Amino acid sequence: MKAVFSRLTLTGLVLSASSLLIILQMFHIQNSSKHQELSRWADEEYSFAKENYTPERGNIYDRWGRLLAGNEDIYEVGVMLEYVTNPDTIAQTLQGINNLSFQNIYEVASKSFNPEDSVYAVITDFLPSGVIDVLSDIKQTYEIENPYGKNKNEPSLRGLIWSSHLKRSYPENSLASNVLGFYSYRDRKEGKGFYGVEEYYNDLLAGNPMDTFMPRNPYLLEGLPHVPAGASLVLTIDREIQAMVEKKLDESIKEIEAESGTVIILDPHNGEVLAMATQPRVNLNEYWKYEEQFKDKTPFNRAISETYEPGSVYKVLTMAAAIDAGAVKEDTEFNDPGRFEYGGGIILNWDRRGHGRQTMQGCMQKSLNVCLAWVATELGKEKFYEYMSAFGIGQRTSIDLGGEKIWPLSVPGDSDWYPIQLATNSFGQGVAVTPIQLATAISAIANDGKMMKPHILKAIIQDGKQYDITPQVLGVPVQAKTAKTMTEMLVKSLVNESSLALVPGYSIAGKTGTAEIPVEGKYGTELTNASFVGWGPAQDPQFLIYVWLEKPKDSPWGSVVAAPLFSEIAKELVVYLNIPPDEVQQNLIAKEG
Amino acid sequence: MAKKSKQAYRQAPWRKQLQSAGISLMPVIALAVLMAIYLMVSAEAAAAGLEIMEMHYEEEEILRIIANQRTDFAWRTSFNEMQKRAEKAGFEPAPMEAIHYMKITGYLGQNTVSLALPPNDGNDLAPIVNEYYQQSLWEWFSSTFLTSTSSREMNQ
Repeated sequence: MKAVFSRLTLTGLVLSASSLLIILQMFHIQNSSKHQELSRWADEEYSFAKENYTPERGNIYDRWGRLLAGNEDIYEVGVMLEYVTNPDTIAQTLQGINNLSFQNIYEVASKSFNPEDSVYAVITDFLPSGVIDVLSDIKQTYEIENPYGKNKNEPSLRGLIWSSHLKRSYPENSLASNVLGFYSYRDRKEGKGFYGVEEYYNDLLAGNPMDTFMPRNPYLLEGLPHVPAGASLVLTIDREIQAMVEKKLDESIKEIEAESGTVIILDPHNGEVLAMATQPRVNLNEYWKYEEQFKDKTPFNRAISETYEPGSVYKVLTMAAAIDAGAVKEDTEFNDPGRFEYGGGIILNWDRRGHGRQTMQGCMQKSLNVCLAWVATELGKEKFYEYMSAFGIGQRTSIDLGGEKIWPLSVPGDSDWYPIQLATNSFGQGVAVTPIQLATAISAIANDGKMMKPHILKAIIQDGKQYDITPQVLGVPVQAKTAKTMTEMLVKSLVNESSLALVPGYSIAGKTGTAEIPVEGKYGTELTNASFVGWGPAQDPQFLIYVWLEKPKDSPWGSVVAAPLFSEIAKELVVYLNIPPDEVQQNLIAKEG
Repeated sequence: MAKKSKQAYRQAPWRKQLQSAGISLMPVIALAVLMAIYLMVSAEAAAAGLEIMEMHYEEEEILRIIANQRTDFAWRTSFNEMQKRAEKAGFEPAPMEAIHYMKITGYLGQNTVSLALPPNDGNDLAPIVNEYYQQSLWEWFSSTFLTSTSSREMNQ
């Protein structure tokens, strides 16, 4: 019994001593600086998987929620070099896809494997899922016939792999391309938005790409890393109206043999852009070809990036300013001799003739340069330029599109301003604007004198919430009374001259413009900028349409080429916008009253 | 006599040994039970962690599928596609003379688009984790027994 106890004691002592040694060693490991360093290194290297996460780029919708820019699944195809058994089969199978040659693919697939720096090689990218389905079938068939690619003389796609990612997609192709801009998705590391909405709202759409740390130790995993997606945007653009306007514009440009054209449709009440069409346009799904379309510094969106002398449409601003300041009234008479000398220059009418006694209404209707130059002098240079500045001439409208340009307005006191400019500026010569600038300025007349900031963004969708954009007032350049008087004058003008801009059943206010294009600083060539600006229904304008046709060959006159295009668009627009004809509207008001 | 009775209640030596062995094994068994519970909880935590990891990748894939299907739908309903379908179905644009404006009582026109909830509507997405899994033992005890007792007293 005693011997057994001794053996037990001995065993106990040995085991205790071993445990003690193990504990001591554990202490040693815990406290040894070398081991601590090793532990830290292991923690840093292997505890977390670092992932660079690029959130999905936000979508872009039209005002009714129709997708204009989204993302689609696409595949990158490459080879895991360690597993490739037959590069010949890979090259033969993939040749021709994305214009890849056998040789190129073969070179990639036959690279030697090196665990340090050569594990995976990309063959091609941006393949649609249909191609991947075919590749998958072929790979499976070869795998059955030649498992693991063991027989190197038999075909095998072993080592060939694919992974999906998103790419930008524009389901409407070139529709509203000038407004949308594009995202350079082919550059997967440095891709960004160019032009239009894609450029202006790039940061919002892109979200915040970030590095996420995913613990490899499952005990440390408490939740999924939250990376918010890019914000989606709802635009003010109406897809149907945009498509209709683009179609009409294209037809008109072809018919009158113009160099280009631009149409803007605004809601004057809130500055929303319902449509903005111009030429050329590009299929945004092939954005890399845009340089073929936009040659010789052609702007991507003429509506906001090309300045030009607007001509007689500008008279709307001059007359509104003069009436608002009390310099003239609607029935003020002017005896038009057909010639007006001012500031060392001579102003002539468009037809080089005098038109005798005219009211201001007549001056606008006949678009008399001489009369408007006189009106500007009656108003005075200080007042005239104050009003033009209030209308935003020479300033950015701050429309939310990338690439807005301006031409500074020369005012008295500037080194490049001469007295004759007061006269020429009054009828839109010697002053340059972009279509959006002039449309915005004139929209004040259609909105009781209140000029709204033109904008393309209607709402932002972020983190599952929709934030609607509040329209902003840019200024009130003229009184509501003046705006109403101008609208009435311009309605009468169109009716009296039986304008081609009229829309049956609707009262439309508008003004034509024909501006000669100076060549080497001289006017008098056949080249013109033909334009028309109109809004309606006159009693409560729901739309303003600005039409600009560049260098039409068929006829140089705005009244002949731009006014009919306005009418064509307005006729369809009243239907799209559910605007009742004047007669119906009056009956409805009478019934409700 | 007294000596005899003392002897009568004396336990057998094997019982004493068993008792002392049992007492000394008690902490070992308790420790083993604790370790088993710890192991079970750890295993479950590890399984949950792995599930989270899988869900992370699954979420990415689902988001890609949703984006892809949304875009695919947009391609199928794009302006040109819809126009082709309308033409194929025999529709043609109505000339302006054929269009008559009709006032339909109660019809207010197309509603403005709402693709997401408005801000501050009180429907914020909260973590979908049962509150039982977010409570400590004390919180559970307190809410189940103490709060219910006090609320019963209040009601009385």
